[in-house]
Amino acid sequence: MQTKIKVYGMTCMHCHQRVTDAISAIEGVSSVEVNLEDESAEVEFDPDKTDINQIKQAVVDAGYEVEEEEACPLPAETEQEACKIIPDEELEETTKTESGHVDDIVFRVSGMTCASCAQNIEKILKKQAGVISASVNLPMSKAAVSYEPARISREEMEQAIESIGYHVVHERTTLDVGGMTCASCAMNVEKVLKRQKGVISASVNVSTAKARIEYNSSLLSVEDMISAIEGIGYSASIPAGREETEDRERKEREEEIRSQRNNLILSVVIAVPVLLGSMKDIFPDLLWFVPEFLTNVNLLFILSTIAMVFPGRQFFIGTYRGLKHGVTDMNLLIATGTGAAYIVSVAASYLDLGPGYEHLYYDTAVLLITFIVLGRYLEARAKGRTSESIKKLIGLQAKTARIIVNGEEKEVPVEDVEVGDIVFVRPGEKIPVDGVVIEGSSAVDESMITGESIPVEKKKNDEVIGSTLNKSGAMKFRATNVGADTALARIIELVENAQNSKAPIQRIADVVAGHFILVVHVLALIAFFFWYFVGFEAFNVPVNSGLLSPFLFALLISITVLVISCPCAVGLATPAAIMVGTGKGAENGILIKGGEALERTLKVDTIVFDKTGTLTKGEPELTDVISLADVEEDRILAIASGAEKGSEHPLGEAIVRGAQERNVEIANAEDFKSIAGRGIEASVEDSRILLGTRKLMEDNNIDISSAEKKMEELEAQGKTAMLAASGDRVIGLVAVADTLKENSKEAVEKIRDMGIEVVMITGDNRRTADAIANSIGIERVLAEVLPEDKAAEILKLQDEGRIVAMVGDGINDAPALTQSDIGIAMGAGTDVAMESAQIVLIKNDLRDVLAAIRLSRLTMSKIKQNLFWAFGYNSIGIPIAAGLFYPFVHTILITPALAAAFMAMSSISVTTNSLLMKRKSIK
Amino acid sequence: MNEQSASRRGKYALIASLASSLLLVIIFAVLSVFVNSSRTVPLYSQVDIIAGTIFVFVLSMIVSASIWPGIIEKRIS
Repeated sequence: MQTKIKVYGMTCMHCHQRVTDAISAIEGVSSVEVNLEDESAEVEFDPDKTDINQIKQAVVDAGYEVEEEEACPLPAETEQEACKIIPDEELEETTKTESGHVDDIVFRVSGMTCASCAQNIEKILKKQAGVISASVNLPMSKAAVSYEPARISREEMEQAIESIGYHVVHERTTLDVGGMTCASCAMNVEKVLKRQKGVISASVNVSTAKARIEYNSSLLSVEDMISAIEGIGYSASIPAGREETEDRERKEREEEIRSQRNNLILSVVIAVPVLLGSMKDIFPDLLWFVPEFLTNVNLLFILSTIAMVFPGRQFFIGTYRGLKHGVTDMNLLIATGTGAAYIVSVAASYLDLGPGYEHLYYDTAVLLITFIVLGRYLEARAKGRTSESIKKLIGLQAKTARIIVNGEEKEVPVEDVEVGDIVFVRPGEKIPVDGVVIEGSSAVDESMITGESIPVEKKKNDEVIGSTLNKSGAMKFRATNVGADTALARIIELVENAQNSKAPIQRIADVVAGHFILVVHVLALIAFFFWYFVGFEAFNVPVNSGLLSPFLFALLISITVLVISCPCAVGLATPAAIMVGTGKGAENGILIKGGEALERTLKVDTIVFDKTGTLTKGEPELTDVISLADVEEDRILAIASGAEKGSEHPLGEAIVRGAQERNVEIANAEDFKSIAGRGIEASVEDSRILLGTRKLMEDNNIDISSAEKKMEELEAQGKTAMLAASGDRVIGLVAVADTLKENSKEAVEKIRDMGIEVVMITGDNRRTADAIANSIGIERVLAEVLPEDKAAEILKLQDEGRIVAMVGDGINDAPALTQSDIGIAMGAGTDVAMESAQIVLIKNDLRDVLAAIRLSRLTMSKIKQNLFWAFGYNSIGIPIAAGLFYPFVHTILITPALAAAFMAMSSISVTTNSLLMKRKSIK
Repeated sequence: MNEQSASRRGKYALIASLASSLLLVIIFAVLSVFVNSSRTVPLYSQVDIIAGTIFVFVLSMIVSASIWPGIIEKRIS
């Protein structure tokens, strides 16, 4: 069982380590992944051996706070009974069906482009044993099937559809589930959901009290699922908007910033007089203006004590919580440093410690606290800004929608809009959900989703994306995706997941940070021993530094080592950059599914482009009409378009469209017959017309020698040439071509300039494929590759030792996208694209592939810079703090207060460096 | 059973940490006294030695309390 719990109070990688250790120590826990930025822990555990409460308790015991939830209202004796796990046998019982019983099911299928696709799906479904009937609706992208559940399962039918290159799309929803108190409750809810006919998968998280369900809406509704959950004693509801969660997180963040700001103000107010008072005796001439009472020991003691008790309390509380459970973190470093300086000063103030102990270190203690608090305050502010992009995305969502009910407009909360509702939007309003325009037209500003600044014209049958802005006209559209299924909601989910992910490079940082505190203490101890027993006398410290006590000198060195070594910046280096990088990507219509994808993109040395729909527009256009007999070209086009009029094949549609554009009167055709893979046959004005491939002509014994040369020429130009025959002779050629996108050549050139090899993969014949590849400067072409073989071709490239990225539209090339090291899906929105690819480009613009590579390089370079800064501070700071240069310069180069300032600087520089990415252009 | 074993491991770790920290403190104190006795003018005051032993004890406890539990865990398993 897997669960995610919110963990509050983690400030550095050591906290991360501590929480990880605390949870891992529980018997039954198989894996733990703690995210510092997200303040959460994902735990996989065996519910028979432990439960969520035990995990939460371990986190609390380690000194952190977990998300609050209702306490279990049941006494221990009855808990087992209340949380009785529903046996699996029951589940099996309820799903058994009688032989001969027939059920209906509707699948949402993506990837269909023409009537042939619909036919293919119908055929494959009808071939399945147990399927009574199958009917595919192309415009609705649905396949309705009557079947015998005893003979065939839903999964088998889905597999059949997917085996021929299409994708079954499942609806998804999230429900708030109340009344769960332990892991068993979550299992019960999961089981009851899985029992429901139509539920594909259900995952229940007891700590977040949410159930995430994938289901088939033709078999059950959200209300059915709510009833099922309520039926076993829990409550369930459609969750409140993300705004609520976002609001709570924002409040927590603001509270942290406010608390650290107050601490900082108090520290500064105390630090100024303490510093002046402590320094007056050392620099009396320089600090003549400082009143005498500030040097009073009692006043310094009181002020320092206030600083220790209020702003400094957090370090001691953190240390206490950690030590109680045998773990250490950065709080211990600060507490040891400030505590030692404070205790020595108090002892020197009120006890006769003898010569060497006249100097007080109240200023050191107070300045340490001040600088660390300054660091934490700035860090809290910067951390909030790293997640700004996700807040922006959430803020895009419309609050209300105007739907048509019984012919009248009715304003409803956007959560109440259902699939199929007719939504009305006026100019200047946000489009509330995804849909298809059924009336009206307008220009829509989609920049917030796609990054495209020019508004897009929308007319009847065009798709509109929820949360985009309707600019010019009023429109009515039918809602197709609502709630968590809208494009924006899925983008938010994807970006959130990405921001929670870890880049492999972070593992190094985690390992280092995890053991750092221990190493630092060992170093501090070694430095203390060295300066106490050897260095103090050997380097004549009493003369050089004026300190008479070996203990005080060694202590100062030791404190400085402790303070300068805090590994906070190491812990922030990777997640801060990933958050800003993925956020910046989302703002530009580039969705990257996490740190691993970012890191792998950097290593890509080969990019494979699918031809159709990726390099080309995916919509063939009529390019040539050639007469080969005494028939005029317009007449050939009239006959060909007449014959193709009834065709839904993209090539046929291109011919008809071409005829219309050239104002050629389309001839009337009868007896239309499609010959799969070869062409068509029809009767035009009593003549038998054939239009298609060489094979079609050969099958009909028609001599094509007169057309062969011209045909080869056309094919060499990357065009698809079709022979037109009337009666038993060829009368002409009609050629269509899928034209290249305007920016394909530019994008390919720039990718090659980056040192990446570009490969084209296509099902076209070699001659056509080579012609297209040549025209845009691609040297390596994988031609005549069937959709199902694309993945194997990618594997071959990988076997050559290449790191391969595959760019496709996600429709026919999902397996290839999955097989590649980095799948890049273009013109997103399809579920296949979202699921198969690691990078999803919302726009259908090839230049975004470049932008994605640039973004990945930028983010990874920021991560490396951050790690360099973070480790750099420590690597340089620790030896200096340990007094490495004292023998040469005869003075302490870094005081504890300066060390605190450096430490704060390292965290701030890492976060600020990540934020600087926002200013860089990736396009 | 597990709780008992965990508590036993914790006890061993505490004893080991205390023992190693005390050992380091003794070394520190003995060395300090030895250095003082080998000179005509003592280098370390009593305060230096006492404060030093406390500081060494605190640091070595932090280090040993982080190291010993792992070692004991390995030994027991």
